[in-house]
Amino acid sequence: MLMFWVRLKRALFALFAYTWLIMTVIIALVPISYMVSAAFSPVRRLRDVPVIPRITEWSLVNFREVFTYRSTGGQLLPDYVQSFLVTGLVATVTTILVVIFSSLVGFAFTRYRIKGKKPALLFMLGLQMFPGFMGMIAIFLIFRVFGWLNNPFMLALIYVGGAIPFNTFIVRGFMRNVPKSLDEAAAIDGATNLQIMRKIIVPLAKPIMGFIAINAFMGPWMDYILPSIVMPRNETVAMWLFRMNDPATTPHEPMLFMAGAMFISVPIIIVQIKMQKYVTYGLVSGGEKG
Amino acid sequence: MDTVIRFVKKPLKLLLRLLWFVFDFLANGVIRPIHKLFFAVFKGVGDFFASIPRARRENPSSFKRGLSSLFLPGLGQLKNGQWYKGVPILAILVLFLLIEFISGNYIYAPGEIANYPAEENLYFFRDYGGIFTRGIWGFFTLGALVAGDVYRGEPIVTEDARLDWMMADNSRTLMGEGVIVLVFMAFFLAIWAFSVRDAYITHIKLRAGMEIERFKKWIRNVWDDYFAYIIIIPGAALLVLFTLMPFLFSFMVGFTNYDAAISLRANLIEWHGLTTFREVFGAEPGFRDFFITTLGWTTFYAIVSSITVYVMGFIQAMVIESRPIVGKRVWRLILILPWAVPGMVALLVFSNIFDASDGLLNQILSRHDLLDTTRTILRFEFFPFDRFAFFDDIWLVRDRVGDIEWFTHHENANLARLIIILVNLWMGYPYFMLLITGVLGTIPSELYEAADIDGGSANQKFRFITFPWVLRATAPVIITTFTFNFNNFGVIYFFTGGGPAYPRAEVPQALIGIEPGKTDILISWIYTMAFESGDHDTYNLAAVYSIMVFVLIAFVSIYYLSRLRSFWEEDD
Repeated sequence: MLMFWVRLKRALFALFAYTWLIMTVIIALVPISYMVSAAFSPVRRLRDVPVIPRITEWSLVNFREVFTYRSTGGQLLPDYVQSFLVTGLVATVTTILVVIFSSLVGFAFTRYRIKGKKPALLFMLGLQMFPGFMGMIAIFLIFRVFGWLNNPFMLALIYVGGAIPFNTFIVRGFMRNVPKSLDEAAAIDGATNLQIMRKIIVPLAKPIMGFIAINAFMGPWMDYILPSIVMPRNETVAMWLFRMNDPATTPHEPMLFMAGAMFISVPIIIVQIKMQKYVTYGLVSGGEKG
Repeated sequence: MDTVIRFVKKPLKLLLRLLWFVFDFLANGVIRPIHKLFFAVFKGVGDFFASIPRARRENPSSFKRGLSSLFLPGLGQLKNGQWYKGVPILAILVLFLLIEFISGNYIYAPGEIANYPAEENLYFFRDYGGIFTRGIWGFFTLGALVAGDVYRGEPIVTEDARLDWMMADNSRTLMGEGVIVLVFMAFFLAIWAFSVRDAYITHIKLRAGMEIERFKKWIRNVWDDYFAYIIIIPGAALLVLFTLMPFLFSFMVGFTNYDAAISLRANLIEWHGLTTFREVFGAEPGFRDFFITTLGWTTFYAIVSSITVYVMGFIQAMVIESRPIVGKRVWRLILILPWAVPGMVALLVFSNIFDASDGLLNQILSRHDLLDTTRTILRFEFFPFDRFAFFDDIWLVRDRVGDIEWFTHHENANLARLIIILVNLWMGYPYFMLLITGVLGTIPSELYEAADIDGGSANQKFRFITFPWVLRATAPVIITTFTFNFNNFGVIYFFTGGGPAYPRAEVPQALIGIEPGKTDILISWIYTMAFESGDHDTYNLAAVYSIMVFVLIAFVSIYYLSRLRSFWEEDD
């Protein structure tokens, strides 16, 4: 008899759990399937797009439009391709510099004695808290004075500067769990600083550097505010997406937005899913474990 | 009696806890850091001034060596025999002077000043100064002459001036250049100070019998001993250029009268002291009221959205990890999709879903004739009893016919706020689901086995083992999520754009054009105020609000750090 009740309870719980999961899955999928449906839909207006993609009526007309649309006649490349290449350049430069500079700073803050380490860390933490784009008037100004507007390399430098505080904390959180005995032993054996760095610290820190690299590479693709201010005539992908979806600008093409957004989202989603095991780095990213 | 005591005890305990928390926050998060900072600054300055007479008394000859570096940076090093230090320092000085001279108009000065009528104003540094003196002049005055003024007998022009100084002053540029110049000057002064100190210390060592290192050995020593500082340099330089300098600039804008009413070159920006702060804190009731309303919603949003994503993530993790569920990996893979979709794309798609005219939701509702039913539900009209007046304010939807105006009707503000929190939940909880799933795996199974032996129920196991363990491991992330959401610009800007707007009549005169939307959080309000209000762009107010956001968040974070012992431990 008792067994029966236990079984019933379990069955009820299973029923409840499955219902709950199916519900949440549906909610999770609706906006995504809406985007996919719109991207592959032959209709011209967002109103007519069904939530669930109609497999029989799919068409690539939106994608064809995205990859051929030029806002001015004489352009060599379509807007979207152009913005894609620009963003790719920014992301690549950012990644290389971020990995080099911020891991160097991170190593310095974990592997060496530095005077004023604590104030410096607090200072970086504080800088991060100031609403970033309030500095944009100043960045815009500096860029105009030096003629750096619309220059992807200089945009990348802003990203690098901005990424340093956060990554320093990440590297610090990671490296303090790596024992120092190895580099101390090497130092006793007479290895130089550079040798220790190249042969010991960098190999040990590879996973965290990979994490930083992927993060740095992903950042520029979906950043809108900063490029819209310092690259007014050199669109990035995020700016393109925003422009297509903005009712206030003239080619307001939500259908193209959906197609372009889907095209850029797929690789990002794949990378994110591959990265999910790094989620626990969130525990160190706030700085420290308690 | 016992039950009575229990009923009183619990809330009392909670209240005490809350009070303690507030007290602890004020003490450790606000007062202590401020006290510490002031103490450190005063002590530093005091120690410095106390050390000068001491150095003079104890090592008079070394003190003199220091003085010679004060007189001319690098001279002390040269006298000490360290040419490899003295020459570069001198070279930096020469470089500075050279830049100053070349960028200035000093060569014209003597001839012209002699002929200049004594009774008329002459701005020497403005006209003849190089980049550094002109920068400092500009920073403190923010310019002197604008279009229409007469200077040297001719009118000032706004473009194509024959001579530099007939050009109208652009206060904003002057201020920006001033900040840049001040940062460089600070750098140079630091080198100068180093030179003085180094000359003094090296001389003491020399008197004690130390030999002067050869150049090569010195280089090697520096490379070995200061390696950590050297590898920081490139990162620090970028940080100063692209983070610190903009920070300083916008900080200073808060102390000026800069808004869109000032058209550069025709008006001057002026230093305004604390006027804007005073307006925000009460001199202008409109500012204060809107600030408090927006701050309240921002805080509410930050707290509620952090809690909802955490709780939902927890529930999902527990459900997926529970025994009857098969195919855990597949469920998880589907459920993390909202987290994997880039936030901006998701938010823009959502803004299309909730669009009043074309949106998916209205489209579905109207196709199934559900618009009125939805209204009824949202208005709580199905509620059998007399509805509380409360619901009238909190819930929703007064627009009568046709599509529901999710973000456009000003009386739907709370509906819009609710939707924002739900959308944030949609985007945010998968992250916590993953995180908590990871943490669940780290709970030692012995704990559960021990609980089984003692006959603990599933409930008790959750309450006494799972929950405390997970909470402890994830506590830091909750705080960072809070600060992140407090400044979560994208959710508002890409999704509702701050709407619904306040009706014109409710906006006080001083705020027209820069008023927040009803769902604007501080950060998105600041942005629209500074960049997207057209003729009403108000930079000084935006800067003041940024400073206040900064201070608020800083206190929370400092408090949080103060509770983490590991941050304060030296780790080497």
